[in-house]
Order: sequence, then structure tokens, then C-alpha cells
Amino acid sequence: MSIGGSDLDQAILQLRACRPIPESQVRELCYKARELLIEEGNVVGVDAPVTICGDIHGQFHDLMELFRVGGDVPDTNYLFMGDFVDRGFYSLESFLLLLCLKVRYPDRITLIRGNHESRQITTVYGFYDECLRKYGSANVWRYCCEVFDYLALGALVSGAATTLEPSDAPFADLNSQASMPGLDQEIEIETLNASGEVMFRFARNSEQSSSAAEPSQNPSSSPLPTPARTGAPGTGASSSSYGSMGSSTGAVLCVHGGLSPLIDTIDKIRLLDRKQEVPHEGAMCDLLWSDPDEIDGWGLSPRGAGFLFGADIVKCFNYKNDLSLIARAHQLVMEGFKEMFDSTIVTVWSAPNYCYRCGNVAAILELGEDGGNGGFVSRANGDVNRAQVLGEKVQGREGPGRRYRVFDAAPQDSRGMPAKKPVADYFL
Amino acid sequence: MAAPEIPNLKSLLAQRRGGLHARGRGPRAPISHETSEAAKDDAVKGTDQDAAGSRVSCVELGYLDDPYAKVFAAQQTVRRLPLLNRGTYVRTTGLDQLIHQFLTTAPGSPKQIISLGAGTDTRYFRLLSAYPSLNLTYHEIDFPCNTSSKIAAIQRSPAILSLLSHPPTISTDGTSLSTPTYNITALDLRTLASPTPPPLPNLNPSTPTLLLSECCLVYLPPTTASDILTTLTTHHLSPTTPCALVLYEPVRPHDAFGRTMVSNLKSRNIHLHTLATYPDLASQITRLKTAGFDAGQGGVDTGFVWREWVSEAEKERVGALEMLDEFEELGLLLGHYCVCWGWRDRGGEEKDMVFSEAWSGVKAQVGGPAGEGA
Repeated sequence: MSIGGSDLDQAILQLRACRPIPESQVRELCYKARELLIEEGNVVGVDAPVTICGDIHGQFHDLMELFRVGGDVPDTNYLFMGDFVDRGFYSLESFLLLLCLKVRYPDRITLIRGNHESRQITTVYGFYDECLRKYGSANVWRYCCEVFDYLALGALVSGAATTLEPSDAPFADLNSQASMPGLDQEIEIETLNASGEVMFRFARNSEQSSSAAEPSQNPSSSPLPTPARTGAPGTGASSSSYGSMGSSTGAVLCVHGGLSPLIDTIDKIRLLDRKQEVPHEGAMCDLLWSDPDEIDGWGLSPRGAGFLFGADIVKCFNYKNDLSLIARAHQLVMEGFKEMFDSTIVTVWSAPNYCYRCGNVAAILELGEDGGNGGFVSRANGDVNRAQVLGEKVQGREGPGRRYRVFDAAPQDSRGMPAKKPVADYFL
Repeated sequence: MAAPEIPNLKSLLAQRRGGLHARGRGPRAPISHETSEAAKDDAVKGTDQDAAGSRVSCVELGYLDDPYAKVFAAQQTVRRLPLLNRGTYVRTTGLDQLIHQFLTTAPGSPKQIISLGAGTDTRYFRLLSAYPSLNLTYHEIDFPCNTSSKIAAIQRSPAILSLLSHPPTISTDGTSLSTPTYNITALDLRTLASPTPPPLPNLNPSTPTLLLSECCLVYLPPTTASDILTTLTTHHLSPTTPCALVLYEPVRPHDAFGRTMVSNLKSRNIHLHTLATYPDLASQITRLKTAGFDAGQGGVDTGFVWREWVSEAEKERVGALEMLDEFEELGLLLGHYCVCWGWRDRGGEEKDMVFSEAWSGVKAQVGGPAGEGA
């Protein structure tokens, strides 16, 4: 059986209904996907506009909610930063749908590898068991793992605009409107809720809107459903502009976990041999496992793989590689996203009510297209030798305009799934 | 793959434990009050096998050393996620430490433990092998359906029978077991809240006694829970007997994780009744004082137990057992369970100060011996 053209569209339809496709089709799909992914470099070049997404973890219905909030493929250009599988009930359907979309619209969706896209981790955290349960054999799991080995390790987004085109959406809370910057100002950050209403807006070079955001940082007192106004919990809004850099912004590196002490330039990522199981240590492992932390330099990770890295490491790496921002996933953040280190790195988390247990909201990050870019440039494997030295300039590049869309878990009754898991969720 | 071949997750759900009453009944099914109460009871009874399975998972992976765990797990055990194994380890270790400190204080003197809703707990057998010369009387109380399966398992286990100091006497219906030092009593704890509470066999009213509620009283209405404590501490035990309560229960129901926990468990027909009344460590301390445990109280969440009560060497050993990726989630989970303890001393003689002596040095997040800013 071949899986091209209408077969592929048929498979997409079936998977969108959360129904697995036959094993033979999975094999064909995985083969096609590998053919495609092998052509991608370790660091995929992606042009803005793009919507950056964090962990999905088999929460299929929430992935559908993500598409509802962020727009459908191919209308929206997506970049998923890994951890498609494990933990949720529908790893198989979620990953295969994303893979089908990749094969069908290769220029409109980018998938990079997370630490759960690994044989070892999926046998512990559920994807292996799910495949076995749904197909009666491990074949499908094996096909998927072969695809995992070909997924890129990172992506480099270029051409993102420094300023957001403010959405003309209504405000979620009219009282907050007065405290937000007017549309005549350059907007750096905007947070929208799942209904597309503005929850928070932050102008570049503005001290006053930064403080306006402070009182709303009380996620603990918000009601269970997506709070109408999350405020700006994740934003580490930088009111300094690093001087005038015009409208050009540095590139945005996207990677699942973070940095590695073995990697000081993006070119070094390009040199890795990625087509293998995620190793237990080394640069490739670190990129998928590391976490930013409030420390100086490098630290040992409590996860047992990867490292912790501090603000100095990020700022130095960004400067050296002409980056304005690192976007990464990997860590649950209750507010859906979290900017750290003067907005030089952001964690994006896209699995709402993670494991049907954590009660968190999810977020996606939209980067707009720089108007001065002269339009769309086709996908490439990133520009080699981007790491140019910027003379004596010590400051980093001005960050891109960032629009976060925050969303809640899909309503329970839309799921056709058990409200409870067949294993212990809590200590009883 | 044809759709019918795909297992229906809903059918898995109905096959879960919960007994005949709960089988196949969704939370929204119209049910009478009586049966709904029965279903709730069954759900609570079922929590015991859940705990038993978690214990076996921990033992098999090397977190806990408990040769008796497998004897009582009725179902084949599903390997739990690393963060649940870690949580079970922390829970067990935290309670073990408090109990160890109690038992090793004035080691020759008689002591008593009453374990409420003990279910398949193996603690007595572990204590017996660890401290063979202990002068300890142990009482377990649970629903008859739980005690009868435990007693049947004990009768099938030569290892456990040989541990017991006396051959056990078993009631004709197989729901209660007694020896001079180990007693399993079948009763619905709620009967202890009645004006005419049933007796507990072989209970010595004047022996220093530790009451243990490991996720048990939390399932009862707050007034019932406190009435049970009053009965045990003033009716079964003489009001002058040194006595302590150790609680392990969920905490912090009001943040996002806590709200989700309450609603998820509710959909499994498990209601955490006392949680709203004692939502944090401070309110647990007040609860302990009010219940007469006025000589000292302490409270920690299980995240604190891991950080402060577990030695660095042990942390390293446990950390190496499994790769634990879900770090943020583990932090959330451990932060939503607590261990709280409080005690009363009477008389002022040294033998009456056993709990003060045992626990005054325990590192707590909230509380401390009376008069020290508790």
C-alpha cells in the first residue's frame, strides 16, 4: 500500500478523528517521513512567521485544541519542539498525525526531537505499551523509533519581526486595558487567551507597562478553567532595548532541552551524527535533556541526564551565535510559558493539564514575519557560518516580538476517553 | 487496523477495581443514595489494592526492601511510573522514620501501634523482622472485606506465620485475627464514632500508643474523623496514656494541582472529606492540638521529607534506580502530600515522656514541641 496523495489525506482525516491507521500504512508513512527528514540538517532553518509549540505528550484532544487556537496546518507554519509521545493516552495518534502533516506539508511543519523520542524512554513512559495494546505487536513502535532517529535536533528561526502587529482583538478584561500600552507603541509581547482576547500587552522600552503587569501575577488564586486573564506570568519582559538595532532581530534557536557544555556554536550542533538512539551523555543528549536554572555556569541535572545552565551561559551563547532568543520546552510550567534571564530564553509548554493531573495551562509562541524581510524565503537547512563576530558590541540582539496564546485542556466531554487512568494516579 | 480491534478505553475503565457495585457505573449514572454510598465505600476499600500495587512496584525496582509486599497484592502489579515509585518510597520512608524513633526510645518498655485502615500494609511484619525483641502490640483496623483477604494471605504465607510470636486465632468468618501482640480487627471505622463503640481486642489502655492514619481518616467526614480519635484516645485508651497520632494525607487542595487532584479523585468516587477542613500544614497542627495531642506537633510535606529526612547517600541510591524525567511533576506531587504528627504526654514521669523524647528533634516545616513556636 502506498501512502501518497489521497491516501495521505485519508490517513490525516482518520487520525484527526483519533483513530489509528493500519500497521502497513504506518510503515509506509514512516518510510516516507524518514526520506524527508534525512534531507534536513541537524538544525533546520525556518522562516518566520512561525508558531512554536512545546511538549504534547500524547494528549491528542489538547493537540486539536492547539490547532483550534493556533490555526490549522498548512495555514499556520508550525514548529514542534519534541516530546510528542509518552504519558498521555494517545501518543500514537498524536505522533502519527503530526508525521502525516509533515509528509503532506513539509514546508509548513517542522518537528524536532525531544528526549521522549527515544527507545529507552518510551518503554518506561507509555508509548511502547500503547503501541503494543493498540496493534498487538511492537512493529509500529519500532517504525516510529526509526523515525525518531532522523528527527532534527534543533531549528533556527530567522526573519522574525522585532515588533508585533498588535492584534485588534478585544481585551479579556476591560479594566486592564487602561494599564496597557496604546497601539502607537511598539509591542514586544502580547498574551492572548484561547478565545483570542488580549490578556496582556507589553511595549518595548516601556517601564510603565512592565509594572502594570506585576499585580496580575497571581496564578494560584485563579479559578480552575483557563483564567480569563493569566496576566503576564511567564514574561520576563525586558524594558531595556540594548540601544537601537533597527528592526532586525537575531535568530531564534529552538531546541527541546537546552544547551550543552560541549556546544558553543550552532555549527557544532550541525556537525553531530544525530541518526541514532539518544545517547546517555554527550552533546546530543544535553540538547534534549538540559534545563536553564538560576545558577552561575553549569550544574548537574537532577534528571540524571543533561545539565543545568545559568544566565551567563545563555547570554554568552546568544551573543556568540547572533541569537536574540532560545525557545525550548521540556519543563512543565504552570502558566504555559516562562521567560528567563532577561528574556534570552523561554520555556514553552503545550500540554494543558499535563497527564490529566497537573492543572496547568498550555501556551504556544507566535513569531511574526519581519516586514523588511522582503517576503517569504523558502526553507533551508539554516545558514552555515551564521556565527559571526559582532565587533566589540557586548549587548545581545533585540528580541523578536512574541505573541503567546494560552489555552486550557480540551473539554472533558469532547474526548471520548476515560476520565480516569487504569493505573494509580495518586497515593491512596 | 479496523476500529473494533482498538481496545475501548472505556471498557478498561469498567474492569478496574472497585467491586461489583461500582462496575460499569459512570459518575453521571443516576443512582440511588444508598447505592451511591455503597459505591463510595467500595472506592475507598479499593484504594488499598492501589497502595499494595504501588508497594510491590517499589520493591521490585529496589526502592524498598519489603519481602512481604507481594504476599498481599491481589492483582498482578503494573510497574508504576518512576515519579509514583519515588513518591511511595518517600511516603514509606517518612512514616518509617517517625515509627522507628518511637520504637527505639526506651526500647524495652511496652508500646502499642493502632493502624487505621491498615489494609494490606506490611509494616508490622517489617518491624518484626527488623526488631525481633520489640515489646510491641500492633492493632490493625479495616473493613471486613480487606481484613479477610489479608488474613487469608497470611494463612497462605509460611514466612509470615513463622514470624508471629503466637499461633493466630482467627474468627469463624475469617475477618478478624488475634494474637497477644498482633491483631487484625474487622470493623467499619465509623462505628468508633458512635456512642457505643466496639472494643478492640488485646488493646492495653495504659501502654504508650501511636495511632497511624495512612490515607485513611481523610476519606471520612471531619466530625466522624475527630470523633473516632476522641473514642480511641479517651475510651479505648486511658486519658492519661501517652499517645500520638501520625497522619499521611493529601494537602493543598486550593492550587491548580490540588483542584485537579480533588476533581480527578471525585470522578473515581473517592472523596477527600477532611481535606477542605485541613488544607495546609498549619491547619493540621491546629487539628492535632484540638484533638488533644497537645505536647507537640509537627508537619512536613513529602517534598520536605525527601529533601531533609533522606540522607544524601540514600538519595543517591534511590536516584540511580530509575531515570526520572518528570521532575517538575514530582515536585508538585510531593508538595501535595504531608506527614503530620502530634502527641500528648501525661504524668511527667520519664516513662510517660516517650513521644517527647522520640520526636522533639525531628525536623519539621511547621510546628515543634509545645512552647517552641508551634
